[in-house]
Amino acid sequence: MKTKFNWLRNPYLQFLLFGVLLAMVPVLAKMGVFKVSYITTLGGAFIFAIAALGLNILLGYSGLISLGTAGFMGLAAYLSAYATMDLNLPFEVAIFLAILIPTLIGVMVGLVSLKIEGIYLAIATLAVSEVMRKTFEEFDFFTGGFSGKTANYPTLFGTFELDRATMYYFIVFVLIMIMILTHNMVNGRLGRALNAMRGSEAASQAMGVNLLNHRLIAFALATIYASVAGVLYVHFIKYSYPSIWSLKLSLDFLAMIIIGGLRSIYGTLLGAVIVFAVPDLFLKQLPYFNQLSYILNGILIILVIIFYPHGLIYAGHDIKRAFNKLRKGAK
Amino acid sequence: MSTFLQVIFRSLETGSLYALASLGIIIVFRTSNITNFSQGAVAMFNTFVVTYFFNSMGWPLWMAIIAGVISAIIVGLLIDLVIIRHTRKVSPVAKQIVTLGMVMIVLGIAPMLFGVDPLRLPRLIENGNISILGADISYNGLFNIVFGIAIMATLFYILQKTKVGLAVRATASNEYTAKLMGVPTKTVTMGAWAVAGILGVLSGVMAAPMTSVTLNLMDEIQINALIAVVLGGFQTFYGPVIGAYIIGISRNLLLYYGSSVWGGQILYILILVFLVFRPYGLIGKKIIKKV
Repeated sequence: MKTKFNWLRNPYLQFLLFGVLLAMVPVLAKMGVFKVSYITTLGGAFIFAIAALGLNILLGYSGLISLGTAGFMGLAAYLSAYATMDLNLPFEVAIFLAILIPTLIGVMVGLVSLKIEGIYLAIATLAVSEVMRKTFEEFDFFTGGFSGKTANYPTLFGTFELDRATMYYFIVFVLIMIMILTHNMVNGRLGRALNAMRGSEAASQAMGVNLLNHRLIAFALATIYASVAGVLYVHFIKYSYPSIWSLKLSLDFLAMIIIGGLRSIYGTLLGAVIVFAVPDLFLKQLPYFNQLSYILNGILIILVIIFYPHGLIYAGHDIKRAFNKLRKGAK
Repeated sequence: MSTFLQVIFRSLETGSLYALASLGIIIVFRTSNITNFSQGAVAMFNTFVVTYFFNSMGWPLWMAIIAGVISAIIVGLLIDLVIIRHTRKVSPVAKQIVTLGMVMIVLGIAPMLFGVDPLRLPRLIENGNISILGADISYNGLFNIVFGIAIMATLFYILQKTKVGLAVRATASNEYTAKLMGVPTKTVTMGAWAVAGILGVLSGVMAAPMTSVTLNLMDEIQINALIAVVLGGFQTFYGPVIGAYIIGISRNLLLYYGSSVWGGQILYILILVFLVFRPYGLIGKKIIKKV
């Protein structure tokens, strides 16, 4: 058995298989297994998972906390919407701009993080995010103010016009690419350096890890991921208004990685699905749906943190171990 | 001159709101080492309780406020007993997320109990203006300023001069040693949550007449209070209060004399720049890490 399925243990193959699995959703929806609206819900959850993966690199590996994810994601969303709708630029140029500009700001925050630490950094990033949110409200010609900004499904390379299902495939493709990229980075030199930095800054410096460079890289990565997510969001959900990009969304990202599992790629995805999709998919039939989903999410977050501090992704592992123990006990 | 004074009076009023809220945050932070994101949400909930007793039960406002204070104490005790007490082994970041979970629960329960329509809560002193050096201020505004300062003065007196205050300060400086010295740290923490709840509902009742009682009543105050705590530093009880008044005053001055649209953002950016030069706030000291 063990040797037969060894090829399944290759992480890249696992990512690809996982991607194929996710890509089945629209097909199944067409066959009537579940509702078409699930595509939007799951696609949205995957988009948020991308931003959460960036935050997971920042918080999980380098130990720096940011409450500004929502602000950066929103900035990218508006930039992309503005570039495609008002300037009529092609999608590829828009995505480039929408990643470049937030990343520059993110790197500046990274510079600040050299001086500020811990909870001070968290609230400093919150201030950055608040500045951006207020700017979204006031900067009318760029963001549409309170009424928000709309965008269309993108056209790739000027020829492929995407609709909801194909946009979903595109999101899954980007998600899998980013998961593979993240896997490579955190298991390579960068991951080791960030891990060392989190353990002890002084010791890692003594080992030749450049603190400044790696903090900037961590912040840049988190911002790039958030920007990608923002671009995908605005072209998938097709609108954006200031109140989406509030403190609550930043806290939701934190909740996703804590619930799913720090330093776990699949865990982040699981967290995103739990925080964003589960209430939408399973609780909508109940009365007081909105309130109940809030309450259940809140209780779930608290329960997971108290009883399962490593994240739900390790639940399967633990169940297996408990099962093995039982079997041994029976023998 | 009179407009300047008028702006200052208005700022002192908002400053006391921020100060009460940030004092609630810092008391919880110092005793249970949690950055409390739920301060605003819990305050919003208790303000709804006040509004319910005032509007639906027809109680006089001061009795409704007392009911709100009692509910704040109960909610604070419940939060500590049911949730916070069980998070001892949890990492600091995860503890913040626990308070986020509490925000979600409150946001879910409040509309179920009180409905989704915005409610009105009148001012404690309905009308009347007083003129000081040519600047008008309502009796209510003056009352808010004085009342806020009085509450804070009482709290600081208790913290500095009484045995209870000594227990709180001991818990804040080192919980483990305090426990060894016979300080009932669990009770202190529980009390801190209750006090934070009271400070929250008071700031909520002060803020409510300026807008209406909705789910978002305290959002702005919560964020400004958090930034005030960072500006003042997490190491003392009085630092955040100073930070809150600085934010209240400079915000209104920037809004009035600078730009009414960009004043808030400019203030935040100035605070960020300030933090780069003084990373531990106005009063805070750098904690030297040993390798």
